[in-house]
Amino acid sequence: MIQLRSVTKKYKNTYALKNVNLDILSGEFVFIVGASGAGKSTLMKLLYKEETPSSGTVMIGGINIANLPSHKVPNLRCCMGIVFQDYKLLQNQSVYDNVAYVIRTLGISTKEINARVLGALKVVGLSDKIKAKPSELSGGEQQRVSIARAIVNGPPLLIADEPTGNLDPKNSMEVMQILDQINQRGITVIVSTHDSAMVDYFRKRVVTLENGEVVRDIQAGTYEQQ
Amino acid sequence: MSSSKQNIKKKVKKHIPKDWLTELRIVYRIMMETFNDIKRTGIVNLVIVTTIAAILTIFGALFRTTLSVSAFAHELGNVLEISVYLKPNADAVAVSRRMKKIEHVQKVKVIPREKSWNELKREIDIPDIDNPLPDTLHVKVDKPENINYVFGKIKTLSVVSDMSYAQELAKKIQFLNQIVNTTTIFVVIIVAILTITIINNTIQLVIQSRKDEIEIMRLMGVSNWYIKIPLIMQGALYGFLGAAFALIPLNIVQNMLNNVHKFFLIPTPLFAGNIVIITMFFLGILFGAGGSFLSIKKHLQV
Repeated sequence: MIQLRSVTKKYKNTYALKNVNLDILSGEFVFIVGASGAGKSTLMKLLYKEETPSSGTVMIGGINIANLPSHKVPNLRCCMGIVFQDYKLLQNQSVYDNVAYVIRTLGISTKEINARVLGALKVVGLSDKIKAKPSELSGGEQQRVSIARAIVNGPPLLIADEPTGNLDPKNSMEVMQILDQINQRGITVIVSTHDSAMVDYFRKRVVTLENGEVVRDIQAGTYEQQ
Repeated sequence: MSSSKQNIKKKVKKHIPKDWLTELRIVYRIMMETFNDIKRTGIVNLVIVTTIAAILTIFGALFRTTLSVSAFAHELGNVLEISVYLKPNADAVAVSRRMKKIEHVQKVKVIPREKSWNELKREIDIPDIDNPLPDTLHVKVDKPENINYVFGKIKTLSVVSDMSYAQELAKKIQFLNQIVNTTTIFVVIIVAILTITIINNTIQLVIQSRKDEIEIMRLMGVSNWYIKIPLIMQGALYGFLGAAFALIPLNIVQNMLNNVHKFFLIPTPLFAGNIVIITMFFLGILFGAGGSFLSIKKHLQV
């Protein structure tokens, strides 16, 4: 599903990514790990076209998104769910409206929106909080709303950039378990994290970045595997 | 290639044509977004609309005055004629035919010397003497500004003894017309600058206040036009409402000018009121949407 070939991202004189080659198959669960500044976030941003590689190709679903014109970027992002460390929820809107926002813009009927939103909130266990505002929720709950929003359009790919970065261990575990359940439904999940406990617990494929380079790529790996 | 891969390719590569109901829902939701944006702008809306209304009122009043002055000029131009006095023995009918061929000449009326003399005798008591009056031609010109040209052409004819027309009046009307037209163009430019600046700043504030929200929409894959169109519509709506509010003071100006027309027995230009109103709404919406568009181009990175 995803192929990165000789991807390099350079900011002025600094290399964020250096000659990265990576293949991710449909239905995989992949942890991208590494210390701060290793290039995890840059890699994730390349996948949802927030950044463009300085050289190399980023193929998603057979399309080189490095060449994707800016007006087609929304079409790409509609095909994937994105989860951020800081949740990025609309603070003045309810949980329901936050989850429904993007699919409303697609012209889907109110009945279908209702069904999809309630379905997504059920997956993340927030069916009883549909009217709550983000400020009334805990960090873990807010991140679950963000996951519900990411899966509401039924994307084949979910990208989570440090989803547990702002959460305590209990909430981190809940969020990771939800992402695991989503993966079991056939959705490709890519999670960038430096939470070693989570990586070690779930034993998924682990891609390790160091100074912008892929130094390890291990199936059912751990955070600090030799 | 897996089905999810094909699915991404299909969706990303091209715009998927939607059925009319889906498109209709999108239009409806964009409109709702616009109204929500306006609702969130609060009391500032009133300040913006009132300011635009004041600007458009000045424009509307001036534009309506231009139409009236033009009507006056046209009407006076219609009564402006060149009186041409022919030399004795000149063939008035033949000369009138020659004059009709001059550019901008609309009509030439021959007044035989006998007719002029009889009229004069009827008006004042004149002793019984030989008729001293020449044959006269009344030459009507299509537009007041062409009188000078026609006057010069006729002057060159050898059969002409003398001629006269209200030259000063024609010049003054022409000058007044030019001043009013220039002022209107100047005011249109001022209206454009003021309206665009006001809307531009307002939309900039809206974009600033919604910065985080727009960023989230963008990252979630909301299409660029779904983000931009409500903002453009907001600007256009301010222009529309400004024009609507301006109708109240403009109506007073229109009535006043209509009364002036009646007093001078000069017909009110046909559709004058409607032209002013349509132009006002057109410019209000155009400058409103234009100001918003410029602000989006400068301040919104999507």
